[in-house]
Amino acid sequence: MKRTALFVLIGLFLLAPLASGPYLLSLLTTLLTFAYLGQAWNIMMGFAGQLSLGHALYVGLGAYVSAALSLFWGIPPILGVFPAMAAAALVGSAIGFLSFRFAVKGVHFTLLTIAFAEIARLTFQHLSALGGTGGLFLPVEARTGVDLIHLRGDPRMFYYVILAMAAALFLACRALMASPLGYRWQALREDPAAAESLGVNLLRVKLAAIALSAALTAAGGVFTAFFYNALFPDQWFGLGYSIEIILAPIIGGLGTLFGPILGAILLTPLGEAITAVTDGLGWQSAGIKPFCYGVCLLLIVKFLPDGIWPAIRKRLP
Amino acid sequence: MGPKISRRQMVAGATAAVFAPALRLSAAAPLKVGLLLPLSGALAREGQSCKRGADVSTGVLAQLGLPIELTVADTETNIDTARTRAEKLIADGAQVLVGAFDSAHTMAVAQVCEQRGVPLIINIAAAPNITEQGFRTVFRNFPTAGRLTTDGLSLIKDLLSVTGLKVEKAAFLHNNDTFGQAMAGAIGKLAPGLELPFAIGETIAYDGAARDYAVEIGRAKASGADLVLMISHGEDAIKLIREMVKQRFEPKAIISPGSPGMYEAQFYKTLGKFGDYAITNLPWINPRAPLSKTLLAAFGKQFPDALFEMNVGFTFEAILIAADAARRAGSTASKGLLEALPMTNLSEHVMIGGPIAFDGKGQNNNIHSAAIQNRDSRPVVVLPNENAEMTPVLPMPGWQKR
Repeated sequence: MKRTALFVLIGLFLLAPLASGPYLLSLLTTLLTFAYLGQAWNIMMGFAGQLSLGHALYVGLGAYVSAALSLFWGIPPILGVFPAMAAAALVGSAIGFLSFRFAVKGVHFTLLTIAFAEIARLTFQHLSALGGTGGLFLPVEARTGVDLIHLRGDPRMFYYVILAMAAALFLACRALMASPLGYRWQALREDPAAAESLGVNLLRVKLAAIALSAALTAAGGVFTAFFYNALFPDQWFGLGYSIEIILAPIIGGLGTLFGPILGAILLTPLGEAITAVTDGLGWQSAGIKPFCYGVCLLLIVKFLPDGIWPAIRKRLP
Repeated sequence: MGPKISRRQMVAGATAAVFAPALRLSAAAPLKVGLLLPLSGALAREGQSCKRGADVSTGVLAQLGLPIELTVADTETNIDTARTRAEKLIADGAQVLVGAFDSAHTMAVAQVCEQRGVPLIINIAAAPNITEQGFRTVFRNFPTAGRLTTDGLSLIKDLLSVTGLKVEKAAFLHNNDTFGQAMAGAIGKLAPGLELPFAIGETIAYDGAARDYAVEIGRAKASGADLVLMISHGEDAIKLIREMVKQRFEPKAIISPGSPGMYEAQFYKTLGKFGDYAITNLPWINPRAPLSKTLLAAFGKQFPDALFEMNVGFTFEAILIAADAARRAGSTASKGLLEALPMTNLSEHVMIGGPIAFDGKGQNNNIHSAAIQNRDSRPVVVLPNENAEMTPVLPMPGWQKR
């Protein structure tokens, strides 16, 4: 049943651009971006139980590194993605090492992730070589055709790129969950003391989680950089963006494979639906949408505290 | 006895008469304008201010025979939302987009417009790169960041020259937020080349959220500065002036080379006479233009408690540009608008500067900043002379002599 549902979902996503106009395509691209980023974050929190509220740091790093490599050295994003992922993995590992080596955990670790994202935001604001507060712009060329090497093309190409990335990450996470490392992460998440007593090297598995999650998030950053072509530190390193990343997996179901996807499928159109309804009712007041959005999130968290996917899974034959 | 005609109606009638040759009545269907603004989120205050300009535009443009149908979309100060809202507006039939206040959001919207062949008229967004991308559909009626700062600093020289005021040393106080840092960086780069007749001594960055600025003003006072250059962003301007009064720091002039804070309703309300004589250099409405008078009258009627500011004027002008293009094209279709927009030559408009016209990159280079001095708790144009409502008063009268 689950497999059938998965195939139907993949089929729908593959065929969607044929039936959708530019607006729907734009919405689906946003949806898949958050599904991808949520899945990458889920490795750290959902699988390994380490809460990061500063994942925008890795999106920003990925975006800036790949954009700078392309702008200043002509390195296309298809190659630039590797140094971008490596840089994010390195920074993530450094933060993880500093924290885990010195037993910084729980909320204190979470605060540290926020602090590092803020440090990065302020640092990039002062890096005039990368545009500082004035922003870093990638040249926008004619967006027709398909150039995967330079990530240049029409919105449909970007849609399929992020669809491929989200699908690949889903499969990778599925394999990871069933791997020895995945089991160690789950042991760490459920009971660190018990895991350690069984011989799990906690420092090593935590570092693996943060490095992998950071690197994969940075790959998402590369996509966003070349999709939007304009990078501003406030936009890509901000706490608001970190929160946006984690909403889909939390609402969809933490630690599950389908959770981030389902969360994104629900949340992205939810915002649009609220706008349509409030506009239709003539409630034009600014802020009504965030208010309604917040109420919906509260209701989901109240009635489905484990997320939507676990609730659905229970009912599946 | 015939019906009485009010002064407002007279001004509106006169404006319509002035425009009649240029802006002939159009019997065509109204132009569908999609307006993108950050009405909620971090930039909500600025977005709401822009929206007031749009709200008032429908009536004013209708008087001029330029009917528009306006749909406003909230970008929520979010780049993803800005892009999807732009797509939605176009899907819903918008023939031209106007917006989007923030440079990052504007860049995202610009790419959508380029893709869809729909014109975008930028009301406010200062990043120079937006018009350096070779877009065919993007037209900006707002100065670039560099131009804003250069004009802001040059006007200080003009103010000193016109008033004969001699100052030797300036203290530069700036908010340490993104905007303040960007402005401070630009001023640091541009000031040496402008040969300002004073030295910028103490540069003091402050936290916009601080409770008071006793230390910062103390430092400025101790530096012996007789001119205060200020880049504020809101309430901080009130706190800074208050602290100057408290510490009896009496600079000869307080000038902002282009930042919000000192020309806002709250500033006037809170500081009263102590807010007077402070100067801000920025693009402003031309109080002498006939269309400005019509707009100001309509604005005052619709928003009696709101202050007319730069955001209002530029948002109105962006919509005016779209409506004018539709009139000249004789069509509201995006294709026709795209052919008409590069030929824009609007001499009757509201902001200070020459006729609205776009260069090959879609940038209007004819916008000029003005020096706005607070007088009797309202912003008054004091420079350039041809637009001035009053002459500038410098040095400022002492705090206790007002």
